[in-house]
Amino acid sequence: MDHVARTPSAEAHDRALFEEEALGHADQLYRIALRLSGSTQTAEELVQETYLRALRAWRSYRPGTNLAAWLATILRNAYLDEARRRSRRPATEPLDDESEYFLYDQLSGGRLEGPQEALMSKLTNDAILQSLEEVPEHFREAVVLVDIGDFSYQEAADILDVPIGTVMSRLHRGRRQLKRALASHAIDGGEDPKRA
Amino acid sequence: MIAEPCKGVEHRLQAYLDRALTPEEVSLIEVHLGECQYCRQRYHFEAQLRTTVKTVCCGDPVPGDLVDRVRLAIRQSA
Repeated sequence: MDHVARTPSAEAHDRALFEEEALGHADQLYRIALRLSGSTQTAEELVQETYLRALRAWRSYRPGTNLAAWLATILRNAYLDEARRRSRRPATEPLDDESEYFLYDQLSGGRLEGPQEALMSKLTNDAILQSLEEVPEHFREAVVLVDIGDFSYQEAADILDVPIGTVMSRLHRGRRQLKRALASHAIDGGEDPKRA
Repeated sequence: MIAEPCKGVEHRLQAYLDRALTPEEVSLIEVHLGECQYCRQRYHFEAQLRTTVKTVCCGDPVPGDLVDRVRLAIRQSA
């Protein structure tokens, strides 16, 4: 039984230690939260909620283990709870069997290529952010953690509580779907029925 | 018709960018990229795409008082 009362000074010490070690990850958590939720307000609420939950669970954190991944796990659970409250449904999962290079092929128009900058300039910041939001949630989580949050496959697997092979598969499909969305939002990228 | 070695590179390119290949696989890919302009251009595009997506997606400013507000929330919860 672990109901031993903590003295106020011990609690203050715990909290000070927590603030010192955990708050340094706030920026990284915020960026992940923003890319998961798509809303600055929700992202900030999620970060606050994450830290409150993390503080409550602080004594279960083992010093020396991966604090960023531990916090990201809590953030992800907070996000799932929030998404459940809003009844956000994961989108359908289209199959992807295109060439790895279909975005490149589309942007270059099949012509002999010019400089990379010219191709990349067809992808505006808004198009990139919008495209990421369109990636179905399961796949987006993997892309956000690995490609944006800099977590390894294994860390992402721990955070998402799935096998590493599942992370790799979701990452693969998430990147494909991101590229598909980018193709539809690229400047001169053909028709975009959503914006018609 | 795409040559067989190019297909191999295409198949492994994302894992290569993830640094998830064996040294032997890395070596095979790098030798091929050195020889094949078709694959090299596509490799550069894929690498640049990742960098661009990451830069844009991390580009939103984090609210300057985020940490202060979290700290306040933590202390109020005590």
